[in-house]
Amino acid sequence: MKWFINTMIGYWVLLLAISLGIAAAIYEIWLRDALF
Amino acid sequence: MFDFLIAGIQAPIFLLVLTGMTVGMVGGFIGVGGGYMVTPALIVFGFPGYMASGIDMTHIAGKSVVATVRHRQLGNIDWVLGLAMVGGTMFGVEQGVRILTYTKKLGLSGIILLTASVVIMIGLFVYTQLETQKSTKKISELEKDGKKVGRELSVSKGPRIFQSISLFPIVRCRTARIVVSMWVIVLVGIITGVLSGFLGVGGGFVRVPALVYIVGASTHIAVGTDLLEIAVSGGYGALRHSMMGNVDMVAVLFMIVGAMFGAQFGSIATSFVRGPAIRYILSYSLILATVGAFLRLFYMLTGSKHEILSFLAVVFTLGEMFFLCFFILSLVIFSLRYQKGKPVPAWIPPLVVVK
Repeated sequence: MKWFINTMIGYWVLLLAISLGIAAAIYEIWLRDALF
Repeated sequence: MFDFLIAGIQAPIFLLVLTGMTVGMVGGFIGVGGGYMVTPALIVFGFPGYMASGIDMTHIAGKSVVATVRHRQLGNIDWVLGLAMVGGTMFGVEQGVRILTYTKKLGLSGIILLTASVVIMIGLFVYTQLETQKSTKKISELEKDGKKVGRELSVSKGPRIFQSISLFPIVRCRTARIVVSMWVIVLVGIITGVLSGFLGVGGGFVRVPALVYIVGASTHIAVGTDLLEIAVSGGYGALRHSMMGNVDMVAVLFMIVGAMFGAQFGSIATSFVRGPAIRYILSYSLILATVGAFLRLFYMLTGSKHEILSFLAVVFTLGEMFFLCFFILSLVIFSLRYQKGKPVPAWIPPLVVVK
């Protein structure tokens, strides 16, 4: 876990994972039915 | 869900406000309009392509005014630099549109556009990353030696070369603290204008690095001055789109509500960080936009049928906006912690301003 905070690339990966997770939740809740 | 009568679709209001806020924050921080993020997001929400483009341009014009006012208060706008570049940019945009029309006639515009976008974005990403890593390393070394470092440090040799061109008239940009031939500024305006007209984007992601690596402005000045340019060009674009009926003003209003807060926060956030931090976020934005464009293209090429590809394209389009916002927010929080003497990761000190 420390690697995710103490290195820039680790922090990058951590934030990207969180962001994509939030985006996936938005897709499932609000956008899926509208697109398919 | 809200009924957008002009666009003829239903979409959740909060997603529009959220998009306005996130893109406003990113735009205010790195000095871009954010069209490459907003237009695909609006299409994902169900807006027709032409309307997504019109809504995007109108919201960018409003948001850039908010961000420009805030950057002016922070002293990040060089009016001489901005005004000298506007003429070149306008001329360049016109030439860019002509080149695009010519390639369309040859039946090549799609391939050329995609190749040009990808090559430029990847090229800028690689150069900005390498230069920023060197700058950050140099800041660390200087601070280790006990030397005081300001909020800007760039190791690029470009500005020295271009500032040595002594072609009349030479202009003194007092806020940016540079003395350079006006032709260099005009040339930068023309080149970025051509790219902007040809690729159909605002051009901020090309202009900010050009102002830093060619003209020699600090990243903060480049961001503020570029937002001034976007406010001018975006205003004209918004007017043209409105005249053509491409704008749903209700959607624009919802986006502007979010953008007002986001753009202010993004602009103020620049005062917490050094130039290299802004350049890092700019380079991340470039590479994520490239990957997002690839995913959307792949989805379209396969006939927009596969749900998994739609899922990946949508998730990446929205995810990149959230990622950039979280990174900006983190930098501000880490900067405040560092100023209070609290522990921060080792990669933070070279990136934040010590007040």
